[in-house]
Amino acid sequence: MTPCTVTTGFFTLGKCGVMAVAGCPSCGRALCANHITEGGLCPECAAARNQVGHPAAAAAYRRRTHRHRTSQEYSDAGWYTGFDSYDRAPFDPGAGANQDYLDDGSDALVDS
Amino acid sequence: MFWRDQKAALAGFHPLHQALVHERGFAATQPAQGWTALIDSLYRHAGLVKRGKWALPARTLDVLVPLIIEICSDLGPKGTLAVTADLRGRDVPGKTGPERKLAVRPPIRSASEAWVVDPWLRLRGELRDGSILEILVVDRERKRKITKRNPRGKTKWKRKSKVVQTIRVRRRLPVDAVSRVPATPPPPWIGAFVREGERRSILAAAKLTRMPASGQEQVDRILSVATEPFRWTSENRGIA
Repeated sequence: MTPCTVTTGFFTLGKCGVMAVAGCPSCGRALCANHITEGGLCPECAAARNQVGHPAAAAAYRRRTHRHRTSQEYSDAGWYTGFDSYDRAPFDPGAGANQDYLDDGSDALVDS
Repeated sequence: MFWRDQKAALAGFHPLHQALVHERGFAATQPAQGWTALIDSLYRHAGLVKRGKWALPARTLDVLVPLIIEICSDLGPKGTLAVTADLRGRDVPGKTGPERKLAVRPPIRSASEAWVVDPWLRLRGELRDGSILEILVVDRERKRKITKRNPRGKTKWKRKSKVVQTIRVRRRLPVDAVSRVPATPPPPWIGAFVREGERRSILAAAKLTRMPASGQEQVDRILSVATEPFRWTSENRGIA
């Protein structure tokens, strides 16, 4: 059985662990039926694209916002690294974030 | 005869939802599924009930519900969350302490002071990593009334009030938990200390001299204080 690897929890992070039925088309992680959001994405990838209609995607968005805000408030970079690299990957530039907010490069007509 | 549809809608809501409407508060302990049922019921309120008298109390949807959702996501399979919410506000009987006379000198004729203590939210959750999280939010208001008389005999009085909010969080770690001092101290407005014992407790407290302007800011403040005890354990990953 392949377990669902979606991160759950707010303060105490964990993996879902329910039997997976699909994979995220963006990052490839295994997903159970409850964690498939719009477009078949995992909650983290959906949150990175600002698609927070699914409760799990909304929870992922709130959790990430809170960790990011409090790591700055506490000046504690280690607090944000409580996420593993797998959790952070969808939010890496170019990996899944909204392309409109990315750097257009030095040869772009307008620097957005 | 009047409000028949809305009365019927109210009767179909979750019992704790009805308590919020009629008594402006509740105290209950239940697992995550029970709180999910209450939140589903609360989200149906605005569409079915329009009467102002039966509106949800302030801080229900913008403070109480988000906090319950986040803490429920950390509960274990057998863990429960206890919530004591008193959303009646500060100006209700029983929350104002005795009035105390202050020392005065002319032209002040009298000055009195009273404290209002409003512990409006208390949460206790049994988390899936074996620790117990407790959150207490208290509003304290100081009310002063001053009476003075001018040389022509005219008497005037003035009232002043000042509100501060105290947020206290305690996390009791599991018996065999390993904890360490975080790499960085908390922000200046948050105090933290450790109570040793059979189960180590990490306490964080904050006093806000400026009340949060919105529900979102209130939630952020509470969650910021609640973050500190979790920085003391290196591994915050529990069993899903």
